[in-house]
This record gives sequence, C-alpha cells and structure tokens, in this order.
Amino acid sequence: MPFLENLWNVLKYNEADPILFNSAFFLYFFAAFLLCYQLVRKHERGRVWVFTVFSLYFFYKACNEYVGLVILSAIVDFYLSNRIHREQREGVRKGLLWFSVLINIGMLVYFKYTNFFIGILNDLGAGRITPMHILLPIGISFYTFENLSYTIDVYRREIKPVDKFMDYLFFLSFFPKLMMGPIVRAADFIPQIRQPYVLNREDVGKGMFLILGGLFKKVVISDFVYQNFVQYIFDDPSRHTGIECLLGVYAYALVIYCDFSGYSDMAIGIARWMGFTIPPNFDKPYKSSSITEFWRRWHISLSSWLRDYVYIPLGGNRKGKLRQYINLLLTMLIGGFWHGASWNFILWGGIHGGALAVDKVWRQRMAKFAPVNKRLWKIGGILFTFHLVCFCWIFFHAASFADAWALIRQVAYDFQGNLLPEVLTAYPQVFILMGIGYLLHFLPAATEQKLEFRLARLPLWGSVAVMTVFIWFLAQVKTTVPMIPIYFQF
Amino acid sequence: MPTGNKHPYPLVIVMGTLLCLAALSLVQNGLSIGGHTLRRLDILADLRQPEPAADTSFVAQEITPPTDSTADSVAIAVRRDFLTYSGILDYGITAEGEGGGMQYFMQALKALRTGQRKKVRIAYFGDSMIEGDLITQDLRDSLQAYFGGEGVGYVPATSVVSGFRTSIGHTYSGNWTDYHFMNTPPSGTELGISGHVFVPSADSWVRYTPVKRERLDQFEEVSLLYGSGGRTVMVNNKPLQLGGNRKINAYSFTTDSTARALTLKFNGDEQTPFYGVCFESRNGIFLDNYSFRGISGIELARLSSGMWRQMRSVRPYDLIVLHYGANVLYRPENTKYDWYGKTMVRVVDSLHRIFPQTSILIVGTADKSYRKQGKYVTAPGVKALLKVQHRVAEKRGIAYWNLYSAMGGDGAMAKWVEGDTALANRDYTHFNFRGASKVGALLYKAIMDEYQQETF
Repeated sequence: MPFLENLWNVLKYNEADPILFNSAFFLYFFAAFLLCYQLVRKHERGRVWVFTVFSLYFFYKACNEYVGLVILSAIVDFYLSNRIHREQREGVRKGLLWFSVLINIGMLVYFKYTNFFIGILNDLGAGRITPMHILLPIGISFYTFENLSYTIDVYRREIKPVDKFMDYLFFLSFFPKLMMGPIVRAADFIPQIRQPYVLNREDVGKGMFLILGGLFKKVVISDFVYQNFVQYIFDDPSRHTGIECLLGVYAYALVIYCDFSGYSDMAIGIARWMGFTIPPNFDKPYKSSSITEFWRRWHISLSSWLRDYVYIPLGGNRKGKLRQYINLLLTMLIGGFWHGASWNFILWGGIHGGALAVDKVWRQRMAKFAPVNKRLWKIGGILFTFHLVCFCWIFFHAASFADAWALIRQVAYDFQGNLLPEVLTAYPQVFILMGIGYLLHFLPAATEQKLEFRLARLPLWGSVAVMTVFIWFLAQVKTTVPMIPIYFQF
Repeated sequence: MPTGNKHPYPLVIVMGTLLCLAALSLVQNGLSIGGHTLRRLDILADLRQPEPAADTSFVAQEITPPTDSTADSVAIAVRRDFLTYSGILDYGITAEGEGGGMQYFMQALKALRTGQRKKVRIAYFGDSMIEGDLITQDLRDSLQAYFGGEGVGYVPATSVVSGFRTSIGHTYSGNWTDYHFMNTPPSGTELGISGHVFVPSADSWVRYTPVKRERLDQFEEVSLLYGSGGRTVMVNNKPLQLGGNRKINAYSFTTDSTARALTLKFNGDEQTPFYGVCFESRNGIFLDNYSFRGISGIELARLSSGMWRQMRSVRPYDLIVLHYGANVLYRPENTKYDWYGKTMVRVVDSLHRIFPQTSILIVGTADKSYRKQGKYVTAPGVKALLKVQHRVAEKRGIAYWNLYSAMGGDGAMAKWVEGDTALANRDYTHFNFRGASKVGALLYKAIMDEYQQETF
C-alpha cells in the first residue's frame, strides 16, 4: 500500500525535515489538533490530555527521541517543586532547589556546551579530546529556563506548585512555544488551564493577525532575505565590498528580528486561538532610543527572565553602583552564552552588558541637562542604538572572530559607497523586501490595530479566503529559485 | 456582528483553508501572469506515489567511440566515461587531436626532477573559484614540496581580494588605476594575460610581505612585469631604472636578505603600465594564479596575440590550466552551451598556436547546486557544460579533468556545503578555504597519477 507507506513516512520523524510552523505538515497537524481539541473542548482534563499528546507528538516530529527529555525534566521538576513546597526546613528546601538547578543546568550544559569546553581544553593544550557527537535537543534552552523559573518561584513561595502532573507536562510541552519561545512563566500560564475555552471576535482576529504576520516575517522577509543575500555576505565577507557588507549587516538585523519575532508571533497567535494569552515577546526593538530600552523591547521574555533569575539574585542595583555594572555585565554574558556555545556569543553578550552599564552612567550624568531638541535627540538615539545593535550582530552571526573582523575591515577600509546603485539593482527583491520590513517596523501601532480589527470583522469565508491566498503566496515565495550572488569588483 | 463564543472559528478557518488548498492542488494551478509563471502548489505531494526522478542522464551515454582502432591505449583513454572518471583524461595521444595533451608538462617535470631543467611554470587561469590563491596555493605547495621551488609566482599590483589572500601579504595605495576585462583601457594600454593592467599615479605604491609558511616565508627572485617605456621605480627606497620597449618586459633581481618585504614606489610622471610582480626561487616549480571573478574564460580571446607571445618570452609556461564554469552556469536550468564550446575552442586554438610546446588542461566545472522544490540539487546545466568542456579537450587533443566527478559527482556540492565541516559556501558554488584545499589536493593527486604513469 504505497499510500499508507507514504502516510507513515510523513507521520514519523524525519531528520531532514523537522516540523516547523512554516512547514506544510504543520497545517495538517494543526487541523487534526483543532478537530480533537473541539471534541473535548468542554472538559478541562480532556483539553489538557489532547493538548499534551499533540505537543509531545510535535516534539517527537521535531527532534525524535529527545521528546523523552521533556517528560523526564517535567517529572523531576514536578516532584522537586512539590517537595520544596511541603518542606519546612530551610536547609533542605535550599538543598532541593540547588539539586533542581544542578540537574537542569547540567542537562543544558551537557547537550549544549560539552564540545565548547572540550575545545577550550584542547586549545589550552590540556588534552586531545575528540569532540562528542551530541545533537542539541530542540527547545532545551527554553524549557530548561521555564523549569528553573518555576522551581525558583515555588522556592520563593511566590507560587504554589501544581498538584496534577499532567498540568505541568502540559505547561512545559505546550507546542506553540516549544521550539523558539517565548519563555512562559508557569505563574501566568497554569491558571489559564482552568478557564473554559472561550474565544471572542477579537481573539480570533488577533490570533490570525499574529499567525499571518509571523509567517510573513519568517518566510517572506527573513528566509528570503537571508537565503538570497545575507548568507552570501557572511559566508565570505572579505570577498565583498564594504557597502555590501554594511547592507548585509542591516539585512541581518532585519532577518534575525523577523525570524525570531515572527516565530514568537506565530506561537502567541496559535496560543491565542487556543484560548491562552501569552504576553508579546518583541515590541519593535529597533525603535529603541537607548540600549536599555532595546532590551525592554527585544526578546522580552528572556530579558525579564534574566532580570528576575540572574540579575536580581546577583544583587541587582542594591549593592552599589560598581556592583550594579558588574551584575549587568555578568547577566548579559550569561545571556550571550545562553544563545549558543561560542566565544562570539559571549562577546556579543559582553558588549551588550558593557553598553547597558555605560548607558546607566550616561543617563545619570545627562539627567541634569535638558536636550536642546528633543526630537532630534531621540532620532539620534535611535540611529545610534540601531548601529550599536547591528555592530553586535556581526559577532552574533559571523562564524568566527576572524570572519567578524574581516567584515568590519571591509566596511572600514574597502567601503566603495559608489557601488550602492549597482548593489541595489543586483538584488531588487531583497532590497524591496528589506524596505517593506523596515517600513512595517516603524509603522505606528494604530495601523496594525486597524488591520487586526479588519481581520476580526471578516466573515468566516473571508478568513478562509485570506488564509488560502496567503499560504498560496507563501508557497510561491518559498519555492523561488534563489538569486545567485554577484560580484561587483573585478 | 454576531457575538458569543467563537471557539469553532480556528477549526473552520484551518479546515476551510486546507480544503481550498487541496482543491487547488488537484487542478493545475501553475498560472502565468505577465510572463511570470507561478509555480504549482501541491499540498498532497507527500502522500502520492513519488514520481520517478527526471532523467538527467541525457548526456551520460555520449561517450565518443574510439575513432582510431589501431591504438589500444587510445581506446582505453577514450572509453573512460568523462562524466564519472576522476583522473586526468589525456587526449594528446589520439590521432584526431594535435594538442599534445599532458606530455610537454610531464616531460618538463621529468627534466626538472632529473636536474636537466631549472624551472617549470604553470599558468592557472580561473574565475572567483581560485581568487585569493584558493585551490592554487594548495596545488602549488604540494608540487613545490615534491619538485622543489619556493614563492607564490605572479601577484598583481592591486587586487580586490588582497585582504583575503593568505599566501602573501599585499597592500597598496588607493590611487592606482586598474583597467581590466570589464572596463576599457585607453589605447596604448594593453591588458596583460591576467586580464588587468595597472597604471600608477603620483606616489602610487605597492607592498608585498612574505608570510610565515613553509616556502613562502622569504622572497628570493623577484621579477617586475611592466609595459614599454622607461621609468624609475623605487624598490625598497632605492631607485631602479626600468627599460624595454616590448609590450611586456620583465626585470628580475634577487632580493637582499636584509629587507623581508618588498615595497615599490612609483612617481607616476609616466603612464607606463605595470602588470605585477612574480616571486620565485632559483629552481623548482612555480604556479601563477590568474584569477578574474565573473568571467567564463572566453574573455581570454580578447587579449592580443602579441601580448601572449611576449609574455611567453618573459615567462614561458609548461602547463596552462583553464578552470572555468561557475559563471557559465548562471541560469542553472539552461543546458545549451554550444556557444561556449565554440568560443573556448578558439581560445584553446590561439593558446596552442602561441604555446605549441605547452600542455593545456581544462578543468571541468565544479558541481553547482540550486534549490529545486526546497532541496539543493545539482543544476541540470552542470552535466551539459561538462560535456561541452570535455568536447573542447577531446577535439583539440588536450587534457581534461572533471572536478565535478572528483568532488563526488551528483549532489556533491550539497554535501560539501551541508556536511559537518562545511567545505563550500551557501551559494552552493564557491569553495571555502577548506574545500579549496581539498580540491587542490585532488588535482595534485590527478597530476601525480599521470606523472607516475609516465615515469614508471
């Protein structure tokens, strides 16, 4: 039976084609899930079970046997948090908390950083250890942080632990946020499980807006611009002129924002359709006029997590100015390292931490002076912040320090700005999309709300038509033959 | 507006969309709007019987039957499938060809090895695949390790990839004028065989520094290549009078051991063209890298035969390598390259007229992938181009090496890009330094296999 065989092949894990929100398979998965969810919508337990089973299957489809890790860490943290809650002796509570932290961080370090540390040992000449073949389980960075915040909150007696294991597993494996966040807090999420499944027009419209907008950002802008321009530049910066490298960095700034926030938006939109509200994860970060503001708008769930569970426990701003600056730097170094196991990410975090500290000093000094022209001052701040962030992105994305320096060297010493018209005309679609991307980014919030409102008022058949046309358009974009890179100098 | 619980909406929207898309998939929906064809959407494709892969073997069968049945060795050489054989195919021994194949080069290597000759030179022409001395630095290094010789060979006066090149330190002032294939030099200023000619202005300078690598860590014999007309150039701050009325002249000297680097300063009062500098040692094998990004090789036909001839007298070559293809495959699905074959035959013919005692080797295009239905696959043009490149070699009795096949054949580029250690860039065309190193090693092996066959 070739049909059944094909069906089975589609349903099982395939290393070459893991599930993503923008993969075709997700549409089937989502439809099947929605159908089952409808059938049990009146039963709280039924909803929890259906959601959890589909989430675990989603996980399996994304990373095969590593689905076991989520279940295992849910069991451990469910048990430990309940023990911590019941335990009265402070010493034991602390011991249990550290045990949980150790297990979670240990697992993360093992999967994510083992080879990094082996590399350091080898470089120091202390050994000739062959790097291990470890695949990074998808989402581990996110659910580890969720586990940690949950256990720490229970320890701090800020929340009561959940008493049903399935509720905790549901929270941890919730498929919309599983792969790329946002990092959801149990305190915000768990109470929503108990609420009946009720959607109003606004929920439907907002959800649809977030899903379509997220897909647009991810597939149309991010993937297209990345594949047809950014990767060529970052693969071999020294082969390209400074102007191309600079545009490559601007493009990458948009790509990473659209990729990350697009995925977050889809997660939040899907959750919204299921009756769960997850706070926004990105708030037009490039509108920030200072680096401090940037971190309030960029990956909000991560920066607030780092604030609550790293920066504040380190002492925050309560132990003097100098300690505050050191704490900022340390927090951001950890934040950088969280993104990936390389010195590039550490440096990236370091520069951001340093910039945050400088920004604090600057604000205190400048508080006395009223700027001459507020508007101009703000625009200057936005431009400066954007370029600082872009500078950091170079290290974030370059494969090595050498590549990052090569790119910076090209911008500094081989700029060739006169080639701008040629570069723009060589990749027309890329730069049109970039223009659209940045334009949408700087559009006033009211315009977006209008669009949301329109979507909310659409009749059902209208929504279906919009969705169909949109997905058909996405398929067209996805299958375009990639543009071939062009050299401008001979 | 209806109120109340809208919980079924997501299900209805998604199901409705799925049904619409499925219905669209069942009808042929590849529309054509304003000359732009929209691709067909098929959300059911995964569940259908997979269609047999499109037949891409259309050229694989075209192995030329031996034309001369008298020589067995000929038959063996020709019967090898040029699409899969990963060694050098030498058509110098067929009756049809008169190019001499690899024999001149092999004889030169033998003479070098036995001390009858002091120098053997290779001119390696290519596009961006070899810029920054990629591939060639590894090939040169291996050859020099075996046959002797030190130095990087030819280096231009200015280069867009000087920062990228690691086989020599190379900096220069910004006031050079670079005429090349893509702009038109004024009359009287003739392009050198690198496709460039450099004209200094007042205080133009260029500085070369040896790098800390075996065989590249000091300069020994230096040759300056320049056009006609006298001029003074400051070599490490010492004036040197250059003379000569030929299109291309060489002034060679041995560097004094006190200065590691070589700095040339020009006063720019005379617009004498400058071509570059060659770095060699007293004896051994030397390889000149002539890279020019974006070209397909047919541009070589635009250089004057006078330039070629005079270049031959200042730098005689025993092997000329023509390594092109990436820019011919601009449209990946194009499979018609007869025009290219015709022009390359002319290039080979004129090279052969000027260098009758020089071997010519065509390096067939590397694998190049493009994205089709979400996956990177070998572009259909690759095999078609290989066939044309092979035909040029076969027709003219020169040598041919199939880089595509040496890389691993069909789908090789995708593997090189996506492997655990990336060997090529995400454009699925260019090698990175690791991949280039591997290609250099593959070509070295192919050459040495020929050499060993000849000698033993």
